[in-house]
Amino acid sequence: MKQSTKKALWRGLSGAMCFTMCLSIILGNALEANAATIDTYLGTSSEVLTSKNDAENPLYDKFTPPAELLNEDGTGNSHALIQAAIDLNRREAAEGAVLLKNNTENGQGLPLASGSNVTLLGIRSHVPLIGSSFGVKAQGPFISLEQALSQNKTDFANTITTTQNTNATTREEATSVSKTMESWSGDEFEFEGAGLNINPTMVEVYKELNKTYNHANNENPEEIYNPGEPSVNEIAGVNSDYQSSFAEYGDAAIVVLGRPSAESKDFLPGGIKEGLGAEEPLALTDNERAAIEMAKQASDNVIVLINSASAMEIGDLKNDPDVDAILWIGFPGCYGMLGVADIISGRVSPSGGLADIFPTYNMSAPAMQNMGKMYYSNTDEVINRTGGVLGFTPGSYTIEAEGLYVGYRYYETRYYDSVAGNGNAASPVGAYTSDTEWNYANEVAYGFGYGLSYTDFQYEFDGQPVFDISVDEETGAPSAYATFNVKVTNVGDVPGKTSVQIYGQAPYIAGGVEKSAIQLLNFEKSSVLEPGASEVVPVRVDLQYIASYDESYDNGDGTMGTYIMDPGAYYFAVGNGAHDALNHIMAAQGMDAARMVGEGNPAQAYMQQIDENFISKTMFSVSKTGHKISNQLPYADWNYYQPGEVTYLSRSDWAGTYPKSYTEMTLTNEELINNLNGKTYTLQTGDDTSDILWGQDNGIQFYEMFGVPYDDPKWDSLLDQLTLEEAMYIFSFGGPSIPGADSIGTVETYMTENAGNGVAVSLNASKDPNAPWAIPSSDVNGNWHPQVFGNAPLIAASFNPELMYELGEFTGIESLFTGINILWGPGLNTHRHAYNGRNGEYYSEDPVLSGVAAMEFAIGALDYGLVAAPKHFAFNDQESERGGVSPYMTEQRAREVELRAYQIAFEATKYDTEENDAGMRGLMTSFSKIGSIECTTSEGLMTEILANEWGFIGYAVTDIYDDTDLWSAVLNAGTTCFDTRGQSGFYGTTTLENCSLFQNQVDGSKLSAHMIDGDANLQMKLKEAVHKNIYAWTESHLMNRYNATTHIESQMTWWRAIYYGMTGVSGAVLVLSVVMYGVTSIRKKEEE
Amino acid sequence: MKKGIAFYLNLLAALLGAAGLGLAVYSSVLSVDNALTGLPLVIAAGVIGVVLVVLAAVAPARMGNHNPVTAISVIAAIALYSYVYGQCTLQRIMLIAGLFSFNSGNTVGWTIFYVTVACAVCMVLACILLIVSSFCKTVKPVQQ
Repeated sequence: MKQSTKKALWRGLSGAMCFTMCLSIILGNALEANAATIDTYLGTSSEVLTSKNDAENPLYDKFTPPAELLNEDGTGNSHALIQAAIDLNRREAAEGAVLLKNNTENGQGLPLASGSNVTLLGIRSHVPLIGSSFGVKAQGPFISLEQALSQNKTDFANTITTTQNTNATTREEATSVSKTMESWSGDEFEFEGAGLNINPTMVEVYKELNKTYNHANNENPEEIYNPGEPSVNEIAGVNSDYQSSFAEYGDAAIVVLGRPSAESKDFLPGGIKEGLGAEEPLALTDNERAAIEMAKQASDNVIVLINSASAMEIGDLKNDPDVDAILWIGFPGCYGMLGVADIISGRVSPSGGLADIFPTYNMSAPAMQNMGKMYYSNTDEVINRTGGVLGFTPGSYTIEAEGLYVGYRYYETRYYDSVAGNGNAASPVGAYTSDTEWNYANEVAYGFGYGLSYTDFQYEFDGQPVFDISVDEETGAPSAYATFNVKVTNVGDVPGKTSVQIYGQAPYIAGGVEKSAIQLLNFEKSSVLEPGASEVVPVRVDLQYIASYDESYDNGDGTMGTYIMDPGAYYFAVGNGAHDALNHIMAAQGMDAARMVGEGNPAQAYMQQIDENFISKTMFSVSKTGHKISNQLPYADWNYYQPGEVTYLSRSDWAGTYPKSYTEMTLTNEELINNLNGKTYTLQTGDDTSDILWGQDNGIQFYEMFGVPYDDPKWDSLLDQLTLEEAMYIFSFGGPSIPGADSIGTVETYMTENAGNGVAVSLNASKDPNAPWAIPSSDVNGNWHPQVFGNAPLIAASFNPELMYELGEFTGIESLFTGINILWGPGLNTHRHAYNGRNGEYYSEDPVLSGVAAMEFAIGALDYGLVAAPKHFAFNDQESERGGVSPYMTEQRAREVELRAYQIAFEATKYDTEENDAGMRGLMTSFSKIGSIECTTSEGLMTEILANEWGFIGYAVTDIYDDTDLWSAVLNAGTTCFDTRGQSGFYGTTTLENCSLFQNQVDGSKLSAHMIDGDANLQMKLKEAVHKNIYAWTESHLMNRYNATTHIESQMTWWRAIYYGMTGVSGAVLVLSVVMYGVTSIRKKEEE
Repeated sequence: MKKGIAFYLNLLAALLGAAGLGLAVYSSVLSVDNALTGLPLVIAAGVIGVVLVVLAAVAPARMGNHNPVTAISVIAAIALYSYVYGQCTLQRIMLIAGLFSFNSGNTVGWTIFYVTVACAVCMVLACILLIVSSFCKTVKPVQQ
């Protein structure tokens, strides 16, 4: 070969190797910068927190999984864990499913006898909704409806949940599906199914149809939605003889109808594809009605399963005499169909109650007049704050003009007033079923809390309620409870359990503070009662939840607004839902029974006269922490800035105040505009900060802080050891990877993950692989993914606090197996209306039901060292323009509806003891604002209400990348850290100075380790934020891993080996090529 | 001397590099929240890279094919181009991850994504052309 040819060869090779090496380095950088996330998805462990485990430095002795989930040698038993998940999910669905209708007069309806031959109809019978396409996704193998009804063993290898993929180009329609797990080669499990025989012809028909329909088990709503139910002609196109199969399988026909729920998208008013025969996305389409008609052809026993997190419009089915039973099943989770099968087979009697009211038409809810995408008319002129890292659209808002009257509170209160003849309640304004009057019977299909059973129960108060009322002399903190002992008797023929729901009514004075005519105060659930058996179920009611927030109350100390108890007659009732309870109260009040919808039993109501001697008017003006309560969210109300522009719905005049749609509001008030532009904090530069100690040497290490109370002086010593820079890192990077701090002996750790239906990390991707019970990747069930449980409304509908607690406990156990000590969940926003695309992640429209569910979950999780951080605090009332949308509302509405759910959860009063002030240790804030102020920067919300009134102590993280342009204001408000998913390698790859998330600060500042050197307030706030974060860690099972020897060890993962190898080989060949190029050049010259 | 194929490949690589650099800058100015950190460095790397490629193209006219200046320029240019598209993509990983999951409605983000992809394609193509050109002659002696 000629020397010139050789030269060309070496030169070309050196170029190629340079390119390969650069590519390897880029790849390596990408992998290392996102190592923690990649580990989660690939099941690798690139860095392991390692500690010596000996008698002097014991590990894994603080939180451990239950013995029954461990092998004898203490290692984890994956089979037992999955079996336990199957059992719990089964019970969750069996108790959460709500029987809405059951016509058993002629031997029809439910349950179905074993051996019945049944036809499943509707494409959702073949592809049921199990979870959400994003958010609370149901992962991995599952049990289908068909299997649960007819089989006795799982077929996990061939039954893996699917998810819908959003079209990457249009981002509108989902056009393909993929499995949530590539394959399952782990264990199969035996179960007791319903013992039915399923029509195979229709199963095959729907299987074939779904090849083109692309339905999945996890789907998302669309703004222009199409339920994708095949027509009769399409069915006939697959099998023209399908009807002949009905004769053999005609004992019953089960039709499944569904609507999806997922993060980031809502249903919108009128948002349904044209030509489907429906005007709204939650209404039944022609093809869905045709499926019902087909069921009538197939059998004289028609059963409808509602597979939806939102209230579907099923008034017609309720009134259809040929539809024999309706069972709401929510999204039951991976194994929840077993619970559904338990109900269908009669093994379990239904005991759930609706977590949301089912109006005949959802658009009749006053909240629906103002939802979706609304923008200020002059955004471009006055708003200069950008949409942030996530590119949100500035200038969106919603006016929550329905005020207090969310969900059932509207329908039931208007019903009460229409019967009582108050406030123009019977006016047709706001009526959707009549032009002449508003009539409850027509407007509502099924009420909140309502649910049937296969048996009947009788409820009666067992004696007078026991009132326990006192005020702490020192702090003025109230303690006011009423315990209602309800005797429940099973007067039917089969065993069953029932929820015991206690509702209340405060006296309303026309023109006074708005009050709902009925509201849930608390609930419990009976045990399984045999026919004829009774049980006294005590239900303890916190009376502060029947108090009303009066924004105009003059506190006499220069502040306005607080909770008041108007003197008068307070009613309490036990009922099968809010409507039933209200009827009992109305009967007790002697209202005209002829005008009532349903019957009332005055014996199921109790009246208590409340006056100053019983409970003073301002008893609840002080919180349980002893903090004086006053208005903290004036900026929530549009009228605060631009008075008189918004009218909120009032009982005093239903017709005159029924909300109009507030579109294209114009911003004119300067304070309002400044707030929207994020100008709420001015960074100080010249403060004397010499009294604030950083970088002290006090000789305390993090691992020593387990069990140290939050107010112990030892914390001050520990916090003083931190350098200011370390504290800023802990505040700035709140997970999943959280920075370490050398000064206190912590190391960078992957601590946080989603979600509410299980921990979103596979067993074999545990972040704590050194745990004795960690499931090794070699385990046959290693790729089991714990996100398997039903959606939040399902557990809420169980009305079973113990089951809610158990679900939290199990998630805590999952977290021990996956090494996640902080959970970004559960979802705790209020179902403002049925169109919120994310209702499946939130419990209910009722704050007490939601708050109790979250509290039980979180306290249960904390038993196993998992800090549950409910989201999104607060007012994440819609997904449309969720990033920065401004929901405007009255402070009364804010406190009595949305915030009450969080208050119940965070105060966790039920679990307080003399020694322990129980509470949750985490939360995630909302993308949305409250009025004009970001929730993350609202001192009123984050400090005054959350910390001071409710006593919240813990990790309070922003939503992902939210408000990173308001670093100082976020810290000032009391938020404790930013969600910075994907950021890791702190102090090296990722620094305060180079992190792109924080580069564009609204106030023009530049984030650096010295940015707050001259701001004493922020330094103090920083110390407090870090204190809360670290305290939350010490309450978690992270402490299992820490001792004096804790350090990080880097591991050689396969992906790391690949890029190391590529870089090394290409680098070596590059050097060789360059050398050979030089040698060849010299030789060539010599030849010449 | 006549121009060889490497000359034209190098010129094309310079053009693609300039286009890629322009796209990188454009992706940075689309949204202040997603601006590239260290943009001046990225620009400097891109500009020097283009200059080196041009140098690699013209140097052989004086110094002959496969001269050290061209060889070093090509290697350096590949490294600098890689730095440009590397920075452009590395800093957008989480943005892109969000677009394909929870943040699919981010219209500015999608634009940045498409521009970033275009930038990377230009730069990678330029690198490949430079590699190919390394095997080829930039000038051909004129036949007597």
